Amino acid sequence: MDEAALIRAAQSGDQDAFERLVRNYDQPVLRLAMNLLRSPEDAYDIYQEAFLRVYRNLDSFRFDCSFHTWLYRIVTNLCLDHLRKRKVRRTEPAVVETEDGVIDRMDTVAEERADGDPQRRLLSAELRGKIEEVLATMTSRERMVFEMRHYQGMRLRAIGEVLGTTEEAAKNCLFRATQKMRGALGEFL
Amino acid sequence: MTCEQARESLLLLNYGELTFEQEEALETHLGGCPECAAERERLERIEDLLAVGEAELPPGLLARCRRDLSVKIEEETRPLKRFSPRRLWRDWFVHPPVWVRPLGAALMVAVGFFGAQFVPEGRMPALAGGGVAAEPVMSRVRFVSNDDSGLVRVVMEETRQREFTGSMNDDRIRQALLAAASDPADPGLRVESMELLKNQGQQDDVKAALLNALRADTNSGVRLKALEGLKPYSREPEVRAVLAQVLLNDDNPGVRTQAIDLMIQSNEPEVAGILQELLRREENSYVRSRSQRALAEMKASVGTF
Repeated sequence: MDEAALIRAAQSGDQDAFERLVRNYDQPVLRLAMNLLRSPEDAYDIYQEAFLRVYRNLDSFRFDCSFHTWLYRIVTNLCLDHLRKRKVRRTEPAVVETEDGVIDRMDTVAEERADGDPQRRLLSAELRGKIEEVLATMTSRERMVFEMRHYQGMRLRAIGEVLGTTEEAAKNCLFRATQKMRGALGEFL
Repeated sequence: MTCEQARESLLLLNYGELTFEQEEALETHLGGCPECAAERERLERIEDLLAVGEAELPPGLLARCRRDLSVKIEEETRPLKRFSPRRLWRDWFVHPPVWVRPLGAALMVAVGFFGAQFVPEGRMPALAGGGVAAEPVMSRVRFVSNDDSGLVRVVMEETRQREFTGSMNDDRIRQALLAAASDPADPGLRVESMELLKNQGQQDDVKAALLNALRADTNSGVRLKALEGLKPYSREPEVRAVLAQVLLNDDNPGVRTQAIDLMIQSNEPEVAGILQELLRREENSYVRSRSQRALAEMKASVGTF
């Protein structure tokens, strides 16, 4: 079943179709929320709220834009609201509560990215801290564009559509964000 | 092209946002300008560094999100009183209201008593030890779940329903879950069964089921669960072959992305070739960027020459 057929089936009340639609997109959505908010609980809240809104408003989706754009508009608006409310960015907790117990995030990073080498692990931790710092200096919009372009691989045009702005404006935002990142990461080169 | 224009274009080059002509003009400039060429290298190194900044999803978070969303949606639909045979079965037969139970028991006795009048003598099944003589033929597993103690509960739809519990080492439980994992009528049940089976990949029949689901299940949620279960076996040739197939043919970008993550774990030389082939045909920008990043981590080129 192609996506349009899936959406129509979900609009007519087919729960399985809705579930399949969610599963097609939910992982990148959760990842985006996690990257932007740096908190598993906040990312969880965004996930729930975004897909509940999709469920409640799916009838009003008229295929004027792609489903991806429509969904990401909902998600980015929720994240922007969250970031605005938060004002001062919280730092990512060093440990996270999971169903499997408490996990130290740095352990995961070290294991997956630095082969357990203590020196590299330290460097990774420093680098992560620096990236966090720079992200905190970005405006919500710069951060949003940077995350969507860099970590989600979205085209500037699509980002513009999601944020209700032009490709040019999204490009300028990305320039500013990248300049900040470039300046701060120079010491690691 | 001036150096200032080139610096602006470099960022877009990195993100694959330049047109063919713009890219040509930039390459020409870079060929004759060592400063801008050095800036390009600098940007590429920053790009590599940024991979560390991507937040990891804590294990179990996605599963928790999905499960809780299903519950909330179920609650949303409840006031609408939509007809659902599954809910009807569950609410009135699996967990009936207390006041219905004596009525149900009386009804069953009556049905048994009057029904026996129509069975010819000599065809009655022999009862042994007061139990049921013959095991009913399983027609369909309807629901599976586990609880905190690690026990698994399976509900099968038959001429009558029965329930049994046991650990994952119990052969009956495993066989029932395998049957449920391939039930074409119920993707939700397949996802739940896969969730329970995914840590049992050391058993040959379970691994075969995970591979089959990854290759052929129509539901991407089931395929993702199968991928999770195959994670420890990504170095095995049979698993790698299916991963390559999935990477190049699966229609779901999420599944393809996960397959990349698993493939690169195996560290086999053929992985670069598969990723290059994927890049040649991939249209999804996120999957493309993930493949590019994986190739960069492997220090392989993005194209074949």
